[in-house]
Amino acid sequence: MRYAKVELVPPTPAEVGGVAQGFNNIMKSAQTGAWKNIPVKDAWRNVLVTTEVLCWFFIGECIGKGTFVGYQV
Amino acid sequence: MATLGAPVRVSPLIKFGRWTALVTGILYGRSHFNSLKAKEAVIREEETKKQAIRDAQLAEEKLKNNKQEMIYLAGEAGVKVPPNF
Repeated sequence: MRYAKVELVPPTPAEVGGVAQGFNNIMKSAQTGAWKNIPVKDAWRNVLVTTEVLCWFFIGECIGKGTFVGYQV
Repeated sequence: MATLGAPVRVSPLIKFGRWTALVTGILYGRSHFNSLKAKEAVIREEETKKQAIRDAQLAEEKLKNNKQEMIYLAGEAGVKVPPNF
């Protein structure tokens, strides 16, 4: 439960600045080519985090359509 | 589970990304479901109409075939066919 409270809580308004910062970090590293220099372990971690974020979209879709598999038309 | 350690301070970008993905997913799921439901209603209506017509056609054909078979059987069995059949 305490994990959820720390890790899953939506970003507070105070953290919105952090969002822009993180985004700029990514843009900058993409521009300068620094993304080629990170260790494989970090790159792999980034891949996993990205897939996790994308998977939340599918969870949301399941909630929106009402069933797990397929649409009950 | 073994000791999991302290909870991680997740970066705000990731938290923001997760929650926007979730909300976008919910909205997309609902809108897609509604659009598919509307399309299915139209298709279902057409199907019921066609089904009525198809049922009538099938019944008619069945009757005709039945009659022809009876006439053929009468011929095979040597029974005379009544004039009004």
